[in-house]
Amino acid sequence: MSSQNREVNYYIMKILITALFIMLSYSIYSQDNFTLSGYVKDAGTGETLIAANVIDADNPSQGTTSNTYGFYSLTLPNGKYRISFSYLGYKDQYFEVDLTKSTELNVDLSEGVMIDEIVISAEKEAKRANVESTRMGTIELPVENIKKLPAIFGEVDILKTIQLLPGVLSSGEGNAGFYVRGGGPDQNLVLLDEAVVYNSGHLLGFFSVFNADAIKNTTLIKGGMPASYGGRLSSVLDIQMKEGNNKKYAVEGGIGLISSRLTIQGPVVKDKSSFIISGRRTYILDLAQPALKGSDFEGTNYYFYDLNTKWNYTFSNKDRLYFSGYFGKDVFKFRQPTRDLFFDLPYGNKTGTLRWNHLFNDKLFFNLSVVYNDYQFEFDGGQEDFNFRIFSGVRDYNVKLDFDYYANPMHSFKYGINYTYHKLTPNTASASNGEVEFNTEFLPKYANEYGLYFLDDIKFSDRFSLNAGVRFSIFSQLGPYTSKLDAQEYGTFEPAITYTGLEPRASFKYAVNSDFSFKGGITFTNQYLHLVSNSTSTLPTDIWVPSTEIVKPQKGIQYAIGAFKNWKNDMYETSIELYYKDLKNQIDYADNYVNDLAKEVEDEFVFGEGRAYGAEFFLKKSTGRLNGWIGYTLSRTERSFPDIEDGRWYPAVYDRTHDLSVVLSYELSKKWDMGATFIYGSGRYFTPINGFYLIEQQLNTFYGPRNSARLDDYHRFDLSFTYTRKPESKKAFKGSWTFSVYNGYNRKNPFFINYTTDTDFESGTSTIKGEKITVFPLIPSITYNFKWNQN
Amino acid sequence: MTIKDIIFLASVFAILFLGGCIEDYVPSTEETKQEIVVEGFIEAGEGSAPAYVLITRSIPFLSTIDLTTFDDLFVNEAKVTVNDGTNTVELTELCLDDLPPAIKEIAAQILGFDPDSTALNICAYVDLLDVLDRKIGGKYDLKIETDEAVITSTTTIPDFIPITKLRWDDPPGTPSDTLARLWVTIADNEEEDNFYRYFTEENNTGLVIPFSSVTDDSFFDGQDFEFPLNKAERRDGDFDPNTFGLYNRGDSIRIKWMNMDQAHFDFWNTLEFSRNNSGPFSAFNRVTSNVDGALGIWGGYAVGYYEEVVPF
Repeated sequence: MSSQNREVNYYIMKILITALFIMLSYSIYSQDNFTLSGYVKDAGTGETLIAANVIDADNPSQGTTSNTYGFYSLTLPNGKYRISFSYLGYKDQYFEVDLTKSTELNVDLSEGVMIDEIVISAEKEAKRANVESTRMGTIELPVENIKKLPAIFGEVDILKTIQLLPGVLSSGEGNAGFYVRGGGPDQNLVLLDEAVVYNSGHLLGFFSVFNADAIKNTTLIKGGMPASYGGRLSSVLDIQMKEGNNKKYAVEGGIGLISSRLTIQGPVVKDKSSFIISGRRTYILDLAQPALKGSDFEGTNYYFYDLNTKWNYTFSNKDRLYFSGYFGKDVFKFRQPTRDLFFDLPYGNKTGTLRWNHLFNDKLFFNLSVVYNDYQFEFDGGQEDFNFRIFSGVRDYNVKLDFDYYANPMHSFKYGINYTYHKLTPNTASASNGEVEFNTEFLPKYANEYGLYFLDDIKFSDRFSLNAGVRFSIFSQLGPYTSKLDAQEYGTFEPAITYTGLEPRASFKYAVNSDFSFKGGITFTNQYLHLVSNSTSTLPTDIWVPSTEIVKPQKGIQYAIGAFKNWKNDMYETSIELYYKDLKNQIDYADNYVNDLAKEVEDEFVFGEGRAYGAEFFLKKSTGRLNGWIGYTLSRTERSFPDIEDGRWYPAVYDRTHDLSVVLSYELSKKWDMGATFIYGSGRYFTPINGFYLIEQQLNTFYGPRNSARLDDYHRFDLSFTYTRKPESKKAFKGSWTFSVYNGYNRKNPFFINYTTDTDFESGTSTIKGEKITVFPLIPSITYNFKWNQN
Repeated sequence: MTIKDIIFLASVFAILFLGGCIEDYVPSTEETKQEIVVEGFIEAGEGSAPAYVLITRSIPFLSTIDLTTFDDLFVNEAKVTVNDGTNTVELTELCLDDLPPAIKEIAAQILGFDPDSTALNICAYVDLLDVLDRKIGGKYDLKIETDEAVITSTTTIPDFIPITKLRWDDPPGTPSDTLARLWVTIADNEEEDNFYRYFTEENNTGLVIPFSSVTDDSFFDGQDFEFPLNKAERRDGDFDPNTFGLYNRGDSIRIKWMNMDQAHFDFWNTLEFSRNNSGPFSAFNRVTSNVDGALGIWGGYAVGYYEEVVPF
């Protein structure tokens, strides 16, 4: 970085920090009007409710929503108001408030029955956000809605549900990996209680690491990412864990074909402190162990587990403390006792988040988060004296300070600062044979990442609103490091190279009338950590690498416009969104890449650019016995690399021309619920074989242009029925059965194409066979779920 | 076995477990241009063979290929010359069917197949009189002129780094009385990057190429390095994890040990990666060729042969 750049960055940083402090002091001392503030919670469990609506019932344009911690603040002129509190699926509550002084009002909402008129009005308020909020491409998915849908093997999976939304694609048959609006799998910021989850899949990605029983809320932001988020180009998947019931003890669980789950929660100190602990483990191969006994593979096993835990303590209305942790692991053990051959392949994530919420005053909410996360992949194998080990991983230490300042109904500000220390260990391989040892001697890479942001949600009038923000990011690769370019040595914590990025973000809403609005936005993003896969989907073996002097930060700009309309008194929400994405410094492997452990992956990369554009159509109904949505996306995603076919633009593997999802849930009776999904997508692009050629008396393949052929179109229908024997029982224990069918009409969707050749050179004959491999046929499953609540 | 292989095996398990299915697939039958393919070698060292070049054409996807189709793949009447720095030598085209039995035997030996069971009319361009100066440190330019194209390539023959020791050992686990494991030692040269390849032969049945036949010295640069040298398995044989890589006690075995330059190594390294990495999680990879105007390889080898009887 030149000294001039450094100076410019220094001044930008100084201006932003000064702005933050001015804002902070203004926040603390300004008291023009009176403020109604407090927390919105679930009356039954004490769980805070995220994005609950708090509205002046007589003037709905004056309102706010609760934040991630359930806190709201509404500043209004002196006067009498009727304030409504509403949340999807809960009964509304109305309060007469005489605002002659700032007032604290904590509200507990009770879960409602869907046909209850009051609840319908609450849902109506929630749906108004479709046309009234400046937010675009943002979808909240309460976990209860996710649980109603069919799931493969009965394993409820958040990541597979978001794949049913327009603009979001599955990275492969049955895979929990996802692509958003033409972005790569590494361009999604996946957060679990603010901790980055670097590998969100179990069992080669067939299951996600998120145990639905421990999850409270999921928010997907696929466009118009607010300035408070950074570090990824495409999307944010922000997952909040439950806090635990602070009123009474509860146990919840399920017994399925693949795994079983158990969640225990309850108060530590009633109404002040609670805990939740939730575990899940697979056991299918444990059950197979007796069959393996005495075989060539005795001792071979595979399982994964997840453990989520959270504890919180409310010191006062001003101070709260949360601690949450996640521990998950896949373990694959291979044993071949007859030849003393073995390997263990464990990998998994650990995250820990400590958060302190503090109210400086009734308008200024502060959160401090200290986050630790760690992803490790290991392969350890050998035979007799020979031992071989591969290790890679990412470890982050992160501190975040975030402020929410609710100045008045016209302005609400968010600002904060974020620091992360990254340690990224590339594939370090070592081998030993008796006393002789070898290793690749790759050192971990270290980096500092800073983010500083400021945003304002401005309501100019009932018709026009603007959400404008800016994020300034700095990323430094740190020593110990020896430059590959000029051999200069850098000591511990000494910056080897620094990148900066100014990332303006803005989105607006113009309301034509109360049911119809236009929205638009532009989002600049930078990404400093990268994961590149030469596979058709991401694998635990894929390695995260930082920006270095070799690898430049990825940069993206997304433009989006949309029309949003609600129909029939808000019974139906509809939207059309158009987007265009321009991506720079995209990364891929060279065409002749060979997975060689002796080479650092960054030396195998090629760099290029990308573009993606599309139209998303969405129709949603969330009231009544029948609800669900239909989403359709028409899109194109392309990449160009100077070192790949001379820069020819080719379709990315994440390109799907057509993508349709139909998602329905229907309450057949009090006892029976039905869920159904239908998915149709254009076939995935792949690089076809162009022909075969003889070398060493064998036929070898050679390939046509990259991604120039498609697999067959993908489509599938899933169905589930849930039976609750006594839905209105007042008993503490309740059970339900879920019967589901995945791929109901047994569509043979191709997973991949394989070629085999059998050549007898001397006799001059050969057969070549192309095979289409299908993984998931019709799969029925049954799961028993239960709940016990202390009376 | 790479991690990719392990993941592939795991996914095969998963497919079997889940009851997935496999169906025939025929790719779209668009006409693809037939490429010219070069496979030529020049060797130096004890027991090394004269230079030769095979020129064939690629074929599109066909479910079965018969003898006539194979015969037609050979490109005849090309002008093939090799320059060794001093002399430019034109190689002679020999087709098996045209050769008297004695010469056929010699040609078969050079090309590495059994002349008695070969129905295919293999045609090769051979330095029949062995005129080229084949030596360590030599540089060799190949030029092929056909009706369609002019194809060129250059290769070198690097230093030979021999096997300094062969050692027999009981295999891990059981049984160990009928099978043995071979350990070899080499003294890698620290000054330069070295690239190795090997074939094995049992009881004079012909050299067999292992699934992974090449390595560079990244892991043992400049070291005296002992490692197990797996017996090459025939591609048409059944894979048996209990005998994989092990030699039968009492057999006569022969090892062909080779060094090559980087471009030559890159070809085999990418080709073997491409051969061994099929499956759901492997993207394609393109083979790095050192030939301009065609697919394939023009490669120089420094070679050495080692013969042993596997002890009881």
